[in-house]
Amino acid sequence: MAEYSKKVSKKALSKSFHSWYYGNLTCFSQEHMQTFGYLVSMLPIVEDLYEKKDDQTKALTTYSAFFNTEPQIGAMIVGVTVGLEEARANGEAIDDETINGIRAGLMGPLAGIGDSLIVGTLIPILLGIALGLAEGGSVLGPIFYIVVWNLLAYFGMRFAYFRGYDLGGAAVEALVGPNATALRDAIVSVGTMVIGAVAATWVSISTALTLPGGGTLQGTLDGIYPKLLPLIFTIFCWWLMAKKKVSPIITMLILLVIAFIGAAVGFFGAATIAAPTA
Amino acid sequence: MTVNVFQAALLGLFACLASMPGLGGTSVGNYTLGRPLVAGLVVGIILGDVTLGIIVGAAIQVVYIALVTPGGTVSADVRAACYIGIPLAMMAISAQGLDPMSADAAALATTLGATCGTLGAILFYGTATINLVWQSIGWKALEKGDTHKLYLVDMVLPWISHIICSFIPTFVIVYFGQGMVDVIMSSLPMDGLPMKTLFAVGSLLPCVGIAILLKQVIAKPTDFLTFFFGFTLAAVMGCNLIACSAIACFFALINFELSTIKSKLAHVGTAGSITSGYDDDDEEDI
Repeated sequence: MAEYSKKVSKKALSKSFHSWYYGNLTCFSQEHMQTFGYLVSMLPIVEDLYEKKDDQTKALTTYSAFFNTEPQIGAMIVGVTVGLEEARANGEAIDDETINGIRAGLMGPLAGIGDSLIVGTLIPILLGIALGLAEGGSVLGPIFYIVVWNLLAYFGMRFAYFRGYDLGGAAVEALVGPNATALRDAIVSVGTMVIGAVAATWVSISTALTLPGGGTLQGTLDGIYPKLLPLIFTIFCWWLMAKKKVSPIITMLILLVIAFIGAAVGFFGAATIAAPTA
Repeated sequence: MTVNVFQAALLGLFACLASMPGLGGTSVGNYTLGRPLVAGLVVGIILGDVTLGIIVGAAIQVVYIALVTPGGTVSADVRAACYIGIPLAMMAISAQGLDPMSADAAALATTLGATCGTLGAILFYGTATINLVWQSIGWKALEKGDTHKLYLVDMVLPWISHIICSFIPTFVIVYFGQGMVDVIMSSLPMDGLPMKTLFAVGSLLPCVGIAILLKQVIAKPTDFLTFFFGFTLAAVMGCNLIACSAIACFFALINFELSTIKSKLAHVGTAGSITSGYDDDDEEDI
């Protein structure tokens, strides 16, 4: 990276990062999504780089294009554009189209990575452990989640932002290269396994039906495979949503109908729903 | 259990902070205060029964374990599930005199939480729509070069959206709903069909949350084996979640090592030499 005469000050970088950390979604609308969060995080940067008010406004207007990504990992994109804006302020030939092209090109892939790794894997794993710790109403569970998640989120976003600023586009390559893909697959497999454990621990469905000739259906099912009903219903819901493209709300309504019929015929009985074995 | 004006107002304030798009920010607001397990602690402190709050929050959390909002589409609203659903569920459990630790209490909490969360999606769209007004102020300010007004637009004016769509609905439903919860609950016998259905649906709903997550992580049929493996660890072998996480990390390590070796081998296969670094031809699929 070339040494520029105009450098963004540490203070402006910190203000920019914190504006993104806090404000990325505060003024969300379906039309502009994270655009205003982006504008306020670039504001300290353009004020630091350009002296004339007109230049500041002109530079800032670049970032009024639509923006939406997974905000945590997306901090990296803000960092990358800070680096680009710095280069532009030092006279490099970077126009609005270049910046917005890069921004638009990065937000899709990073949203995919962020949604699957952070929201779809990291948070469920942390919540899964926290649920275990919260057994019997213990405050340990929520406190574990609050502390661990917030430390990871704050320092992770900080890291992403400054990596983006320091390395530019190379920072993103590290996230999509073959090694990163292998790592990502490994992390997702942890998530898949933990989710299996969460399902087995926290979903408790049992039947109240008694078999003709004594014994309960539940007892028979337990003999086949413990927690068979939670497994069957989970796969049924997955099949509805993944294979039949049913929305989560409709899936819930289908379950309501099943519950009603099941309760009416005596398959489900209030008193016999097994206690969670957590 | 009764809720006074001050408590209802506090719940309303937390609803403003916790929603998506919330005023606590994404990490602290939506992903911390907006998780039912954390909200269970907060509501428990506000209403003076931390244990019940956390039990109710944990039950609802399973339904929303994977609340991904790709492209800003929501099927459930966290502020409603957390700060309307949890207080109502706590009141209902107290009104029915259920043992908080029982599966019935968890099922009742799950049903109420999921119902509030689903109906609450309207609050999400309401907030986002009102924010358009502040954004139009923002565009005008940007045109005029009045850039500092953008802070006001991004961080201050959305409070008005939240007073309308988060604070007032939470306050009104929790404060005035408490009497209704008592009436409804006392008119429904525990062994009647409505209550039985309610308990049954409450026990079924967490499957939806798990299935949403499965939909995300299952790319090929063999991925189901990974899920079954975790399921079996907990269901049959009795491992708790921390033990399962440790075992899962170990297998992930093996997986990672294997795919690293595989990609090295594949490279050797094409380049014909083991010495060439495989970093040279990183594919850029952006």
